[in-house]
Amino acid sequence: MRQNAEVVEDKTEKSEYVTLTIDGIEVKARKGTPLLEVARQIGVEIPTLCYYSFVSPYGSCRLCSVEITTKSGRNRIVTSCNYPAEDGLKVETKSEKVIMVRKGILELLLARCPKVVRVKNLAREYGITEPTLWVSDQDEDCILCGLCVRACKELIGVSAINFAMRGVKREITAPYHKFSDDCIGCGVCALVCPTGSRKIRQHTYATIAPLKGPKDENIGVNIDIFSAHSPDSLDGFVKAVIAAGLKSGLLDSVVLAKRKNSFAAEAVIIENSEDFLNCSLANSVRIKIVSTLMDAIAKGKRKIAFIGLPCQVRAARKIEQTLQKEIPDLEITSIGLFCLNSFNPKKLVEKINSLFKVDEKQIENISVKDGKFIIQAKSKEHSVALEKLDAAIENGCVYCNDFPAFFADLAIGTAGSEPGSVTVIVRTDKGKMLLEKANFTRDIAQKDDVVRLSDFKKNRAKEHTAPILKEIYAQRSRKGE
Amino acid sequence: MTNSQIDKIIAKYEGKSGVLIQLLLELQRELNWISPEAVKRINEKLGIPISEIYRVASFYTALSLEPRGKYLIRVCAGTACYIRGGLRVLDAAEKTIGIKAGETSSDLKFTLETVNCLGCCALGPVVEINGKYYGTVTPKRLEEIICRKRSEK
Ligand code: SF4
Ligand code: FES
Ligand code: FES
Repeated sequence: MRQNAEVVEDKTEKSEYVTLTIDGIEVKARKGTPLLEVARQIGVEIPTLCYYSFVSPYGSCRLCSVEITTKSGRNRIVTSCNYPAEDGLKVETKSEKVIMVRKGILELLLARCPKVVRVKNLAREYGITEPTLWVSDQDEDCILCGLCVRACKELIGVSAINFAMRGVKREITAPYHKFSDDCIGCGVCALVCPTGSRKIRQHTYATIAPLKGPKDENIGVNIDIFSAHSPDSLDGFVKAVIAAGLKSGLLDSVVLAKRKNSFAAEAVIIENSEDFLNCSLANSVRIKIVSTLMDAIAKGKRKIAFIGLPCQVRAARKIEQTLQKEIPDLEITSIGLFCLNSFNPKKLVEKINSLFKVDEKQIENISVKDGKFIIQAKSKEHSVALEKLDAAIENGCVYCNDFPAFFADLAIGTAGSEPGSVTVIVRTDKGKMLLEKANFTRDIAQKDDVVRLSDFKKNRAKEHTAPILKEIYAQRSRKGE
Repeated sequence: MTNSQIDKIIAKYEGKSGVLIQLLLELQRELNWISPEAVKRINEKLGIPISEIYRVASFYTALSLEPRGKYLIRVCAGTACYIRGGLRVLDAAEKTIGIKAGETSSDLKFTLETVNCLGCCALGPVVEINGKYYGTVTPKRLEEIICRKRSEK
């Protein structure tokens, strides 16, 4: 990651400063800073398409080309976004040569993406109004700048999308052109994309049509919210509802993460209610579950219950929305589990090990209560404040703003209810119908508790995205868009 | 190849970095393709994102994301071989096996590909079968070779 690289730089180079000139202006900069950043600091504008300071530079669009003359007199064109400042450098950002090179680049970009507004505007600035080169695809909208790939990998840490193939077939896609198992639907790819490409929306969950109905800001769309008595807490309630659905034929299968041991889980398809009642839900780990849902659909399942975290529920919803065009009788009823963040099993085990000196195998039970993380091991109870475990939070969770599973049919969690009860948010009629098959007694839910946690999560996400958004908006206004 | 065999290969690379290409090449050699199962296992054992494995596997022609046949027949369609009738040789191969270039026969016996120059133009038209080169190949000769390979156990 970029940040790490900078830290390393600082240590070895002790913030050595160099002097260079940009368009005749003398400027001091820390050695190694990209020329582009140095230029911006003194108000010299250089056009870019594939650069943001919060991801590593990649130099793919070539638009930021500038002319440099080194101390030894060597003159050439380089990309300023990834060329490090060095002593005695003379940089020209608007020389004749630079303008010519940029024109050439824009000719190529326009031939690739003739309809993309941003490219068209840039081309026009350089006097190009129509593509003069051969256009192979009028609707192409990706310039293969890789910003989405870098943001997904370096910022979010999930790497759901990447480049694939090569040469003229090179493209951005989720693996196998299938719905991604790793995408958490944060939408950062769509945010950073300079062209607004639809490629990244195809197999990710960056954009989803919203649910319809009455809406609360922090609770989301809901037609009912209440607290249900369930002696066996969350696990028990979810199981009772789904088992009743399976028995009554309202559902033909359920896709869920099944617990293997304290931290490991596997995604499974279960078809009958007895098997289902015998397994235990894993509700705090984010495992690959989308491909299992797709397997169920491929097997001919049409009335599927899907139990997952809010991000996975987004996936299920997008898949339902997309596939219903081809498979009109497909119905996915999503049960979303409230989630503040999930923990990365590996990191969590390490953390627990260092905190309590207990081995993974000795752990009998884990639970979260009142901001505390509690584990039972060797018949002893250990607990720790949740903040202490921040380092073990799963990649990307801090960018996610969905606590109460906004896209679920039924959202369920312990927040907002007394022990022995769970809070249920009914968002759709589909969810309501499923509930009708189950027996339970209901009570009033403490909505405020849910709102508070939802708000906390939203704010955390905002904090993390604010600096990114700031730079993106600055970039857009710079281009006069 | 079973999962445990795949795991055995992957295990050799555990704890090392920058080994993805080597690992994929070895799996390709042993499995004849990079199966989704193998990709999944690499992800689980080495923690490399699936999208990263897919990127590399789809980039190199030496790696195949689809099962390849026991015999990989590569007919040269480079300039020299083209002029000397390489395409007619290709035609013969396509007809004899019953697949198009780029495809694999359903019995997983043959995969047919074209390549642009194998570096021995003087011998054109050239055909390479599992690393073995055949020079001045005629359509008839290739047909015979394929039939021989097909009847063998
Ligand atoms: S989809 Fe957008 S961000 Fe990603 S490579 Fe293409 S143009 Fe760049
Ligand atoms: S911004 Fe420098 S190459 Fe794209
Ligand atoms: S063109 Fe066929 S070997 Fe060179």
